Amino acid sequence: MDRRKALRTIGFGTTAITVTPAVVGMLQSCQSQTSSFTAIHFSKDEFSVVSQLMDLIIPKTDIPGAIELKLPEFLDGFIDTILNKKAQKGIANGLNHFISVSLEESGKESVADLNRSDLDTQLAKYLKADQEQQKTWGKENKAYQKATKEDSNHNASVTAVAYAFAVQLRSMTINAFKTNEYIGENIMAYAPIPGEQKGCVDLMEATGGKAWSL
Amino acid sequence: MNNTYDAIVVGTGISGGWAAKELCEKGLKTLVLERGPMVQHPVDYPTANMDKWDFKAGDKITQEIRKRQPKQSRTNYVNTESTSHFFVDDNKHPYNEDKRFDWIRGYHVGGRSLLWGRQSYRMSDFDFEANAKDGVAVDWPIRYKDLAPWYSYVEKYVGISGEKLGLPHLPDSEFLKPMQLNCVEDELKNAVAKKYTDRVITIGRVAHITEGTKPGLGRNTCQYRNRCRRGCPFGAYFSSNSSTLPAAEATGNMTLRPNSVVSEVLYDTDSKKATGVRMIDAETNEVIDFKAKVVFLCASTVASTSILMQSTSDRFPNGMGNDSGELGHNLMDHHFRLGATANVEGHEDKYYTGRRPNGIYIPRFRNIGGATNRKDYIRGYGYQGGASRGNWTEIVNEMGYGQDLKEAVMAPGGWRIGMTGFGETLPYHDNKMYLDHNKKDQWGLPTVTFDAEIKENEKIMRKDIMVQAAEMLDAAGFKNIEQFDKGYSMGLGIHEMGTARMGRDPKTSVLNKYNQLHEVANVYVTDGSGMTSAGNQNPSLTYMALTARAVDHAVKELKKMNL
Repeated sequence: MDRRKALRTIGFGTTAITVTPAVVGMLQSCQSQTSSFTAIHFSKDEFSVVSQLMDLIIPKTDIPGAIELKLPEFLDGFIDTILNKKAQKGIANGLNHFISVSLEESGKESVADLNRSDLDTQLAKYLKADQEQQKTWGKENKAYQKATKEDSNHNASVTAVAYAFAVQLRSMTINAFKTNEYIGENIMAYAPIPGEQKGCVDLMEATGGKAWSL
Repeated sequence: MNNTYDAIVVGTGISGGWAAKELCEKGLKTLVLERGPMVQHPVDYPTANMDKWDFKAGDKITQEIRKRQPKQSRTNYVNTESTSHFFVDDNKHPYNEDKRFDWIRGYHVGGRSLLWGRQSYRMSDFDFEANAKDGVAVDWPIRYKDLAPWYSYVEKYVGISGEKLGLPHLPDSEFLKPMQLNCVEDELKNAVAKKYTDRVITIGRVAHITEGTKPGLGRNTCQYRNRCRRGCPFGAYFSSNSSTLPAAEATGNMTLRPNSVVSEVLYDTDSKKATGVRMIDAETNEVIDFKAKVVFLCASTVASTSILMQSTSDRFPNGMGNDSGELGHNLMDHHFRLGATANVEGHEDKYYTGRRPNGIYIPRFRNIGGATNRKDYIRGYGYQGGASRGNWTEIVNEMGYGQDLKEAVMAPGGWRIGMTGFGETLPYHDNKMYLDHNKKDQWGLPTVTFDAEIKENEKIMRKDIMVQAAEMLDAAGFKNIEQFDKGYSMGLGIHEMGTARMGRDPKTSVLNKYNQLHEVANVYVTDGSGMTSAGNQNPSLTYMALTARAVDHAVKELKKMNL
């Protein structure tokens, strides 16, 4: 069954009941049996890579990770409903670059062969690089994006474009995580009807150190 | 069907709602015409209780919305998934641009009173005397003392929350208790008070109930959900839907007719008066004439002006009340979208509760006498802004990805502060709107074309807006201060004004000091089109006061048999 729907039903009639991780786990087990999801903007192999990458960015801890929360599905829908054709193409192009570097450096032949460890290595290379290196890649990618406006055959620093994709995917993953119903209502500080406004309060007293989800 | 009334009101937004309430409460049988469909408080607010995850993509402007609303989408904020249904389909309601003009509209009962920013500020004699002093355009036919009691009158009914400051250039309203500044805004307030003698930081003055209730269809204290533009089920901010229209309805004197597109005001040459209006039923295309002793045009600046332009006769070949030739000219807005932002260190153990539907306000501090007077430009600007937590940029960079990142993004993030200036735009005769009779809308009515831009005075002011914003943030010791100018085109302020201006001389203005057409005494226009100058204050409160004052005048004149 649809986990989001199930959660919503729980929230609806019985607001006093907290959804515990055990309940969530139960709900997710329903979901794992129906992996019939077909992405609009990714091939099956690409979607698998994107899902793994997102799950590395937001991994499962005592709180569900990206795959369990269906953030890759959300991302696919987000790309479809919010982004224009040009931005959609940019993501597809970035992912292609990311994959081609991954294949080359891991010595694998096809996308389906890339495992979580290969992708972790790639993400670490980009997102844990020192700030100077990241700045350089950022600049190179900007120059590439500018040049491709005039000349679609412009030769890019493949690594820089792959880096930019990793950064963009991270930002979209964080957005998906914070737009997630379960996280918003149960993990972060949720106040649909605050009822009062106080300008300056103690963080720990107000939310126990969490951000407001709305 | 009875087609004769005492009064007709065209439009149901901020001004139309007030006209309806005042006319009905004074005992006039009043027909209220609205071009769009009904929106009933609070049942027609379908998204009011939805969280961002209840929308397809987190309550953003989707590609599908952009297709239907390419011009509304230029704002990049008003028409997200939760609110797009309250904004017009630009393809069904086209207009033309000689120069870019962002015309943001809501066609339904309540109009933009349902969608407004709710910032409410009185104008002062610095504004009412400005044109005369500067030799710009024409003099306002009224002064602050004429409007002050009417500001008080509407404010007591509306509920305006804010802080009393006693400033001559931004007179205090009848205030409900102010909302609170947060820790960082308070720090900025203190730093600015220390460094400057000419400026002050205060909480925004907004049409929200912050204590108790107000009359209307269930109007309660603000719950701090900050979902105002979806319609408020608590009736906590002022809208026609929750307040003035229910008050008019309660008298038994109002007939509200939605889906009624008014095409013209009808004129009788013998009596030299308007006899009523002609309207087209938006759904059936039936054309109906309604008669009344007095007509209030409150359809919005551009729409009321269009109706007058369409109201041609032998007497008024260029549009009703347009002997001056000023109808459609002097189009104004407030220019904005520039200022400065900064990061704020410290206060990591502090936060806030409630989603405050409001921010800080910095009242005008330029050209109000003495050392504040500038040589390089006239008039002034105010700032709106605020501080919040939510800056994860550095944290995310540092964490890279994985478990630490996940923990970090669930915490509040660093403090950021920003402010954007709202500047006065002068009334220029060549900033105008006119009708294109070759391009018709779906009812066969001519479409509007805009030809307006900001000019030298505004451009010089804009430089000052950015510099002063950055200086104030610097005075507070904030870091990474960045000036920004996101660019502005006319209309984007959603404060269209001035196209049927008030004035003393019928040769140079359209309306007199009571918002009557100089040449047709029983037609009043009380929306933004009457504005002789723009001030830099958000204008809705002034429209309310002008409308209540005009109705008072009209009813007295009717009793004296002058209309």
